Amino acid sequence: MSDHTVRAFDRELELLGRKIAEMGGIGEKMLADGIDALIRLDADLARSTISMDKRLDALQREVEESAVLIIARRQPVGLDLREIVAAMRISGDLERVGDLAKNIAKRAVALSGEQRLPRAMIGLRHMGELAAMQLKDVLDAYSQRDVERADAVWLRDAEIDALEDSVFRDLLTFMMEDPRNITVCTQLLFCSKNVERVGDHATNIAETVHYILTGEMLPMDRPKGDMAGGK
Amino acid sequence: MNEMMRADALTHDSEGVKIAIRNLNFYYGSGKPSLKNINLSLLTNKVTAFIGPSGCGKSTLLRVLNRMYQLYPNQRAEGEVLLDGQNILGPGVDVNLLRARVGMVFQKPTPFPMTIFENIAFGIRLYEKLPKSEMDARVEEALRGAALWDEVKDKLDASGLSLSGGQQQRLCIARTVAIKPEVILFDEPCSALDPISTAKVEELMDEMSDRYTIAIVTHNMQQAARISDKTVFMYLGEMVEMDDTDKIFTSPAQKRTQDYITGRFG
Repeated sequence: MSDHTVRAFDRELELLGRKIAEMGGIGEKMLADGIDALIRLDADLARSTISMDKRLDALQREVEESAVLIIARRQPVGLDLREIVAAMRISGDLERVGDLAKNIAKRAVALSGEQRLPRAMIGLRHMGELAAMQLKDVLDAYSQRDVERADAVWLRDAEIDALEDSVFRDLLTFMMEDPRNITVCTQLLFCSKNVERVGDHATNIAETVHYILTGEMLPMDRPKGDMAGGK
Repeated sequence: MNEMMRADALTHDSEGVKIAIRNLNFYYGSGKPSLKNINLSLLTNKVTAFIGPSGCGKSTLLRVLNRMYQLYPNQRAEGEVLLDGQNILGPGVDVNLLRARVGMVFQKPTPFPMTIFENIAFGIRLYEKLPKSEMDARVEEALRGAALWDEVKDKLDASGLSLSGGQQQRLCIARTVAIKPEVILFDEPCSALDPISTAKVEELMDEMSDRYTIAIVTHNMQQAARISDKTVFMYLGEMVEMDDTDKIFTSPAQKRTQDYITGRFG
């Protein structure tokens, strides 16, 4: 896209994009570290993950404030308007991703020292990897303006949903087998739900990227996995 | 849906079309046309905005719609402009009657150097002979229609020139609506007005749009976005894109439109 006649407008948009990129980087790292801390029960890593959330929250506020200012001062239309609305939406999604990763990290701290961990941890790790990949892909799609890649992320969310379902069944079985497992499994259930929600946010971002690039909304019905299990 | 509406906006015999422009070319003298093969329709009781850089032909197009260009020798239009199906460019058209049906409001307010009352009554008398009481009623109706009545009702004998710029422009609008036109053409009606007066004129246009078919030329894109139902983007004498205003200002189909509305032009 060629430049605006008013170059300050370009600089403002560019700054907005850079902030989103930084948020994306932090969100990805928090998710990866949060899952890692959970799998390895590493309380130190978990605590450092928790501490990253502050920066993410601050960035989200900055993005929102700059977006509001740009709307007030430049009255953006067309592609510019879509970019700015998208920046607000994406920063909201990434801020939530940070919250979910932080929550996983908090549970990792609570679980550290635990001896009896269910096999479902493997499924959970796999879910985490999938969600991290989705997040990375959709952020790449955003920065590279790649609508096909965004659409692919949107379609792939069903995989995470299906995996969550299987993790849910595993944990349920483990709890039924021995009630002493309930505390651990409850924590893990929340973690698996959190990861599934990260996937949803990645899908939201995919929808937003699709909107920026085409001006059209994706259909309302998102592909869903098997709904069995008490979701 | 949008495809359908686009098609509809271009079909002259479909319902709801007030003015259909067909294969219109316009020449300011000899040489290249200033308007090239324009085809579009103005829908009944809708506001259509024309945007585009200076010299793109938008004011020229407006001036064709009531044959204002005829005031100048050497200017000529080819093609058809159908007002309710009748070609106004054809021979035998009474230009005065045409201009009563298709009124025009200009860039700068142009009140005549006479009283506020006479500014309105003057135009009516050109077309109708009315007894005094009816004339009073018509003037009041026109001033009310232009949202000016409350501000001037106690000084109808004051000079039109004593009004503020925004009031003068509304006086000109009252003068236009007094002769009961069907279509009103606005050529940059707010470019000489401050923001408050602009807002009043925009509010007035919005309120008028259920009674008149309105075409407005504006350099202020936000104004087009605020007040119009359809927007036409013109460039170098051609129509680049016409669509619902909502569509044009969120995701226009043509790259040239996108570049222009987002300020990336040239």
